[in-house]
Amino acid sequence: MLMIKAIVRPEKTNQILAELNDAGFPAVTKIDVVGRGKQRGVIVGDVVYDEIPKELLLIVVRDEDKDDVISTIMKSAKTGEQGRYGDGKIIVCPVEEVYTVSTGKKEL
Amino acid sequence: MKEVIAIIRMHKVGQTKNALVEAGFCRLTAIKVMGRGKMLKDLALVDKVNEEARDTLLESLLKGGRLIPKRMLTIYVRDEDVPKVVDTIISINKEGRIGDGKIFVLPVLDVIRVRTGERGEEAI
Repeated sequence: MLMIKAIVRPEKTNQILAELNDAGFPAVTKIDVVGRGKQRGVIVGDVVYDEIPKELLLIVVRDEDKDDVISTIMKSAKTGEQGRYGDGKIIVCPVEEVYTVSTGKKEL
Repeated sequence: MKEVIAIIRMHKVGQTKNALVEAGFCRLTAIKVMGRGKMLKDLALVDKVNEEARDTLLESLLKGGRLIPKRMLTIYVRDEDVPKVVDTIISINKEGRIGDGKIFVLPVLDVIRVRTGERGEEAI
């Protein structure tokens, strides 16, 4: 299984969550984070904003669903056709075991 | 080394922490998160709700529902301690209902203690 971590614009989150739900992936965890990217934040004149608010979505899926989830997030996280700096990143990590607490079983 | 990520109910955090200390795992990181799970799938249950509430309930189910506040605990442990930590968390948090939470176990390549610069298992 894989954990997909997506860092996205806060204003896009609702749309992404709705699209994920429609695509059959309702389960998600959301964390408010701040961060900067390769552009070193937003520079306006002499002022540097390098703690830009973003939202981190954690989604754990089976290996074969990875591409589905990534393309769904990509589609709604992009700004315009071309995309803009600050649209975010998607990171994929391996998950070795998953337990459901309510049943105590080792399954997603 | 493994990273154990547990997403549990807010009001279970205290009990979980105490149980983990008793089991010998004092260290943990806790974050407030919002989340949702697979949600209700059995639509037959919806019929039991009265007429007025049914429409709003169905609407919210189809939209995917709202995010619910949860606590995310992150604990780094040695490979052999994973079952003990997982069992402890499950035993405290299991109410047998939807929303009890999930536990994920992820591999960790290296751990470094900032104070001394120790690496690997010694730093845990």
